[in-house]
Amino acid sequence: MSPYQPDPQLPPGGRAVAPPSTEAISITRIESAPDKKISLFRLLLRDRFATVAAVVLVLVVLTAIFGPVLMGALATKQDLSATNRPPFSLADGWQFVLGSDSLGRSMLARLVVATRTTLSVAVPAVVVSLVVGSLWGVWAGYHRGLRETISMRIGDVIMSFPSLLLAVVVLYIFNPSIANIVLILAITRIPIYLRTARAESAELQSRTFVDAARTFGTAPSAIIRRHVIPVVLPTLLTLATLEFCYVMLAESSLSFLGIGIQPPDVSWGLMVAQGRQYLQSAWWLALFPGLAIVITTVAANVLAAWLRIATDPAQRWRLTLPRKRLIVRMPPKEVK
Amino acid sequence: MWTFLRRRIISSAVPLVVVILGVFALARLTGNPASLYLPLNATQQMRDDFAARNGLDDPLWLQMANYIGGVFRLDFGTSLRTGEDAATMALRAFPATLQLAGVTMLLAIVLAVLVGSWAALKPNGIADRISSFISMAAASVPDFWLAIVGIFVFAITLGWLPTSGVASGASWILPIATLLLRPFGVLVQIVRGAMVSSLSEPYIKLARSKGASESRVVFRHALRNAAAPALTVAGDLAVGLINGAVVVESIFGWPGIGKLMIDSILQRDFAVLQAAVLVTAISIFTLNIVIDLLYALLDARVRPAGTMRKRRVNVSVPA
Amino acid sequence: MSSSPLSRTPRGSRIVAVAATGAALALILSGCGVANSSTGGGGAAGDTLRIVLPQEPPTLEPCEGSLTATGIVTRSNITEPLVERNPTSGELEPLLATEWEATGETEWTFTLREGVTFSDGSPFTADSAAFAIDRAVNSDLGCNVEGYVFGDDDLVVSAVDDTTLTVQTVRPDPILPLRLSFVEIVPESTSTSEKVREPIGTGPYAIASWDTGTKLTLDRNADYWGEAPSYAAAEYQWRSEGTVRAAMVTSGEADVAVGLGPDDGAGELGVDYANNETVALRLSGDIAPLDDIRVRQAVNYAIDREGILGSLFTEETKPAAQLIPTGVVGFNDDLETWEFDLDAAKALVDEARADGVPVDTEITLVARNAQFPKVTEMAQVLQEELAQAGLNVKLTMVDTTQHLQHQLRPFVTDQGPIALLIMHGNQAGDAQFTVDQYMRTDGAQSAFGTAEFDEILAAAGEQSDEERATAYEEVFAYQNEEIVQFATIAHMVGEIGLATTVDYTPDAATGDEIRLSDFVRVD
Repeated sequence: MSPYQPDPQLPPGGRAVAPPSTEAISITRIESAPDKKISLFRLLLRDRFATVAAVVLVLVVLTAIFGPVLMGALATKQDLSATNRPPFSLADGWQFVLGSDSLGRSMLARLVVATRTTLSVAVPAVVVSLVVGSLWGVWAGYHRGLRETISMRIGDVIMSFPSLLLAVVVLYIFNPSIANIVLILAITRIPIYLRTARAESAELQSRTFVDAARTFGTAPSAIIRRHVIPVVLPTLLTLATLEFCYVMLAESSLSFLGIGIQPPDVSWGLMVAQGRQYLQSAWWLALFPGLAIVITTVAANVLAAWLRIATDPAQRWRLTLPRKRLIVRMPPKEVK
Repeated sequence: MWTFLRRRIISSAVPLVVVILGVFALARLTGNPASLYLPLNATQQMRDDFAARNGLDDPLWLQMANYIGGVFRLDFGTSLRTGEDAATMALRAFPATLQLAGVTMLLAIVLAVLVGSWAALKPNGIADRISSFISMAAASVPDFWLAIVGIFVFAITLGWLPTSGVASGASWILPIATLLLRPFGVLVQIVRGAMVSSLSEPYIKLARSKGASESRVVFRHALRNAAAPALTVAGDLAVGLINGAVVVESIFGWPGIGKLMIDSILQRDFAVLQAAVLVTAISIFTLNIVIDLLYALLDARVRPAGTMRKRRVNVSVPA
Repeated sequence: MSSSPLSRTPRGSRIVAVAATGAALALILSGCGVANSSTGGGGAAGDTLRIVLPQEPPTLEPCEGSLTATGIVTRSNITEPLVERNPTSGELEPLLATEWEATGETEWTFTLREGVTFSDGSPFTADSAAFAIDRAVNSDLGCNVEGYVFGDDDLVVSAVDDTTLTVQTVRPDPILPLRLSFVEIVPESTSTSEKVREPIGTGPYAIASWDTGTKLTLDRNADYWGEAPSYAAAEYQWRSEGTVRAAMVTSGEADVAVGLGPDDGAGELGVDYANNETVALRLSGDIAPLDDIRVRQAVNYAIDREGILGSLFTEETKPAAQLIPTGVVGFNDDLETWEFDLDAAKALVDEARADGVPVDTEITLVARNAQFPKVTEMAQVLQEELAQAGLNVKLTMVDTTQHLQHQLRPFVTDQGPIALLIMHGNQAGDAQFTVDQYMRTDGAQSAFGTAEFDEILAAAGEQSDEERATAYEEVFAYQNEEIVQFATIAHMVGEIGLATTVDYTPDAATGDEIRLSDFVRVD
């Protein structure tokens, strides 16, 4: 017999909901008993980067909600005598602190108004594809067999479909609108979640705890809900935040090709696409909306990475350690 | 394995047909392209002649039947725009995209594995934070913006690289660098996350306590288990590259199939669009089969039945 | 002995995996060149004119020469017509025909040049000319030239002898030679059942190789009947981004960049020239409230032409009062552009409202994406200015196919009143090409007209020389006074990027044909 025998009760990955049995948990018992009731919020405050990310995201959301009310009129006010003013000077008034665009409109106001459009495309697209794709994938992975095969094939069909064609068709047959762009982006991204969720769910089928639950006669939906989804969720959430970034970029690519959000609506992606002609003469037209995209997505990713650890019971202990000693390895001598 | 392959190929045939017919129908929903190909003052008669000449006035099911019949004779139609054979155009353009996507993905995977593993060794340490930050930022930049800025900085201002085109080896650099960033950024995150999980498992501790070197621990043990989710995501990214290299191909004048597809969509060149979609769909399906095979090789638990030959290792062979 | 789980995967399959990856890599990098292209330059570097276009010519079929993407390569380079229009003077100059005259009400006779051969060696005779014209105009090929220049009428062409050709038209046609300047002559060996991608012609250059997708190379034609051009070869490439085209010229990768915009970064190497394009708003005068002439006049008064052009375009871009630029027969020098008078506009709108005209109906301003540089900006300004006059205007940006549905008969009828932003280029040099399209009641691109106007238009078309010019000048004046179907905005300016080693002066035709023999190498 080989000397190595994987512990049947502890699935690889440490994402156990089964009885604990190793040192990691015992350390938690020793060191963090008083921390057991630490709230998520406190945990957030302990991590500086995650806090900053959360603040940034809250600001973005508030801008999306209240911005157009405050700056809506300013964003469409043209001034042909003040076109392409450079940023960082208050000489023409506070509204031109980020410069003006080719029609003399305030960049600041346009950025603010564009926030709502951008978020109202990106967030629903991600949420819809996440929910639909994950549930479907988990269901397919659980049942395996024909349901799995058919689901994967349908996923293949969607993935091989050129999303551009879908975008062009939807844009021209139906009225071009934010809702239709959301629909296209959501549908074309479902296979991503589908495949990942199915793969993870299929892997879990061989785990003892799932087997045990089945033996005990638990209904499939309950098994899925209580055992499979919590295990699968962290990866899917990481994927969702990465997809959030992708959806914002896809929206700007569609604008680059001329089939995304159409003027006079404005979104960050459209501003970058329109600004690309002026890179040598008015670089701020494309830079600031691009920066907005980068900052928002990085913040979302940082927060999501933190959330992933915070919601994972077996990894959470990393966040409760004193900041100086955030290392994986415990020197052996600490373990009795 | 051959059973598995056979089964997958057969079960991929139906989706392939669905994709082709779907594209067929959707493309024709966009209207009669006559006005794009005839002079502006063409009469209605000329437009009707155009439609008749290209079989566009037949009912949809008849057009589909004709097309499928043509496919069996290996006739995929001719381009409305150039008059060339549609299949020739698609097959000529595809290898260029394949080269671009292939090299990009390989580089992205290699770099992501290296950076992700390095970051995972000390989660939340400095290296991890920096690499996370950089990879997230890299994955968030619009590709066309990056391409144009890259041309501006490296080709115009510094003069180190050619602006565009396919003339020399150096002209690969900017397109690949532009395409690389997003897959790299995404994969670093995935690899890092999966490596952190597998590095915290007891068997790693065991391997270390047995005196295994760090690189052996990381690459031989942890990576094998982290490879599975990374592989799925890498496959999706590769598919995204094939379908999504349009922007880079447009800007750099790369004669690939993405540019061909967007041009034929905007010009309503149905035959070329269908041929291009067929070619990319086949390659995507093939890629998915390869990934499933690799996934099964790596992780015995998810092997579909029939993947491995029925060669059971008999536990009770007398020693 | 059971095998350890760690080494359960047979070594064999791992080797297979590695081998497969290696094979894939090798396949991908095979030749280390990019598929679909051929490396290796053609011709001595200094002697090749490198041109970068906005798009690849879909085909080089000469009878599609009126399509800009094709004609820009073929016209007067690979193939030649009988006569050619000088874009600056407007006069017709002899090319493959040395003389021509009207020998009857509906007949013209052409005397052809002797000693001309096609690049494949076959001689050029009246039979070849007759064949080429027949092929372009009378056949079933559906040539672009046929529709653009000739309409439904067929020509009767006959070769009297080797150097004399007669052409008979259905109706008296004073500008037949001008129309024939669009028909490029091809040898009789050219297929009449299909269009050809790579033609043979009599021009100063012939096709050397076409790397579809990557590069098109033309070589100097050794048998050319005229003066040998300066450059021994020409290489065409294409990039869709204007900034990239400009960058190729500034970094020395190309000698000529076509179709640049003012902000593309060509800097000193960019040369502006008045192309023959005019931008205007076409108003659907058959749908309320645009059916009231006061509302259409208000639209004209509300547009601040100077303001728009001054802030968005270069200073050579001039406001327009008519749909054709100077140089085209029929251009009216005395026509003045509408003044920018917002108060007058508002007054007219109020007056119409008082009379019960539904001025608050939503008018859709339709503009095409990427039709010309800054089209989006201009459309947004127009929408804003019309709104300030009191009209309810919504902007919609569309792509080419949708725009064509608005532009050509049958128009889009279920979207209410439309103000369509159009750009019209008259490459032919005669107002009839514009006016028949845009002003006749049944004109293919005309939203409406009046019977009276139609008579004036028909009469003008039958005139020749001085009377013709005068008659068309009156047509444009009449349009602005009585019909007001258009709010003409600007005569556009194009920009071409030229390397310092190239000596070339662009003219109004540069956007449609780039005559390689006009380029001279400067050291």
